[in-house]
Amino acid sequence: MNNVQTETKVRRESKNRIKVDFERTPLLQRLKAKFLNLYTLKKVVWYLFRFLLLLGISYIILFPFFSKISSSFMTKEDLVDVTVRLIPKHPTLSTYKAIITDNNYFVALGNTFILSFLCGVMQTFVCCFIAYGFAKFKFKGNKLLFLLVIFTMVVPHATLSLSIATKFKFFDIFGIIQLITGSPINMLNTNWPLYILSLTGLAYKNGLYIFMLRQFFRGIPDELEESAYLDGSGIFKTFFKIILPLSGTMLITVFMFAFCWQWTDNFYTDMFYSITGPTLLPDIIKVPRSLDTNYAGSALYTAAIKNACGMLIITPLIILYLFGQRYIVQGIERSGLTAD
Amino acid sequence: MNLNIDAGKKGAKKQKLVIDAPKKKRRSGKSLEAKKARAGWLFVMPFVIGFVLIYLPIIFDSVRFSFNEMRLVIGGGYQLNFVGFQNYRNALFVDASFVTTLVSGIRQLVLDIPSIVIFSLFVAIILNQKIAGRAAFRAIFFIPVILTTGLIADIDSSNILSSYMDSSTGIDDGSGQASTAAEIVSAIDIRQLFSNMMIGNEIVDYVVGLVNNIFNIVNRCGVQMLIFLSGLQSISPAIYESCSIDGASGWETFWKITLPMVSPMILVNTIYTIIDSFTSSDNRVMSYIAAVTERSGGDVLASAMYWMYFLIVILIIAIVAGLLSAFVFYQRKD
Repeated sequence: MNNVQTETKVRRESKNRIKVDFERTPLLQRLKAKFLNLYTLKKVVWYLFRFLLLLGISYIILFPFFSKISSSFMTKEDLVDVTVRLIPKHPTLSTYKAIITDNNYFVALGNTFILSFLCGVMQTFVCCFIAYGFAKFKFKGNKLLFLLVIFTMVVPHATLSLSIATKFKFFDIFGIIQLITGSPINMLNTNWPLYILSLTGLAYKNGLYIFMLRQFFRGIPDELEESAYLDGSGIFKTFFKIILPLSGTMLITVFMFAFCWQWTDNFYTDMFYSITGPTLLPDIIKVPRSLDTNYAGSALYTAAIKNACGMLIITPLIILYLFGQRYIVQGIERSGLTAD
Repeated sequence: MNLNIDAGKKGAKKQKLVIDAPKKKRRSGKSLEAKKARAGWLFVMPFVIGFVLIYLPIIFDSVRFSFNEMRLVIGGGYQLNFVGFQNYRNALFVDASFVTTLVSGIRQLVLDIPSIVIFSLFVAIILNQKIAGRAAFRAIFFIPVILTTGLIADIDSSNILSSYMDSSTGIDDGSGQASTAAEIVSAIDIRQLFSNMMIGNEIVDYVVGLVNNIFNIVNRCGVQMLIFLSGLQSISPAIYESCSIDGASGWETFWKITLPMVSPMILVNTIYTIIDSFTSSDNRVMSYIAAVTERSGGDVLASAMYWMYFLIVILIIAIVAGLLSAFVFYQRKD
């Protein structure tokens, strides 16, 4: 240290500047010292490893989509051609055209959109309501009721499929409806079963939404509401004017879950709708009439057609996801899920 | 110490006085507490109504059906004949493959859970570190949760196309089994690698199965990954900083800091994974029972099977939760 100080010369150049003369280590040597050590090496290797791993897994996730997209543009000849793998030689839109015209794609899209959108909105707000009740109010039976929510999450609806179906086929509340109209209501082939399940927070994975939202509301400081109460705002006004605007991200997250899961759902649609019911997206997964699949080795072609149906189904979701994905990631991060 | 306690007591007394004062002046109706309790009930009312009017009857019916024989009456409605444990007996002793499916399905479930939880923790840790294109990776990793569900999973499960596209030999004989090259690593390579390590065949099979199932595992990891991610981000960076100042390596930091801090999430995720894979329709037992439903008179039998399966899984959840909660570390005990 002393050595260095004696060797360097400090000159006063002007009023506010000094100049220090010292022998600078050459750039190459400095770079060597900085980057050619075990620490940096380890860091770089670890970084590359991580990056490659993520890239690989992303490939695993995305590849099926690529193969589906490319195969949906292929003709019959391309599919039996051994030299064609991912890029079709004779790209064609005929598969899509046939599905859209023969399978009533747009009717199904409209019906499913109405159903999913309404279910999504209902589930978001109902779950929000319920979760807020659980998170911020102490009342007798709070814990017990929340256990029941967990219970509805744990019992899969497939276990109950028979009794859910019969429940809505012969819908009745303690025999009251039968007294009035003479017979129970048959709700199958309408949207009402799903609406009722959504409105009561019993639809698919609603327990999870309630759980997530409850954790999120618990993270909002109580002082916020208390000051609103002091200013004369009622409990419901506080909820709508202060809490809901705060939880926009979470609401979007829950809505996207509910919307997308209802969109691709086939369990409930199988259960509640028959052939005579409204055309929904699951109904379009079939080989269109105008396409000829009556030849040997047509298995691949049939698979390609079904995948094209799948692509048509998820295209709206992909668009939605492109806009909404950052809300989902943020929303889950903000919910601060903890196990307490 | 003494002083502290005294101070606390004094503070408590003061608070009591403050609370008491407005009580005397109370003019109308109920206290805020009672009002809030009532509002709480109002908020959760949709669930209560739904639970009592819809869910309880459904549960009750489902249990009842499993003890009955069901016949649809043509004029509308159905008729039930009480048959006691007949359906359960049929499921266990008459149905040829239910028990074997159940055992193998549950074995598969138990084996899958650790791999899913560990994999999602691993990916979450990597995604939590700074890396180029982190946002894009996160978005990609979350695609399966949104898109590969229900219908699409259904199409995929019978999809011979992607395996054909993957294949290097690509011989399609129309049988639906294009080639085995869809497996990422050939099983023989891994087998050779591991057989030199003198570990049991079972473990080798397990690892090979995992590697070849990676698509399946990645698909089922989305929600767990995000739960871990949120857990990791709630750990204060100050802890990591002081750790690194004390000279802990990344390996030590992981075992001593990260793991204990996310252990509550491990519990939550394990239970979520059990529930999720148990209720997913593509698992072996569920699809078997769904097939039973299609048989004539099979719907009540299926109810009985579902309830048995459900009880077993509840048992598994209880055991796993009991075991894991012994190792869970909570930072603040309040």
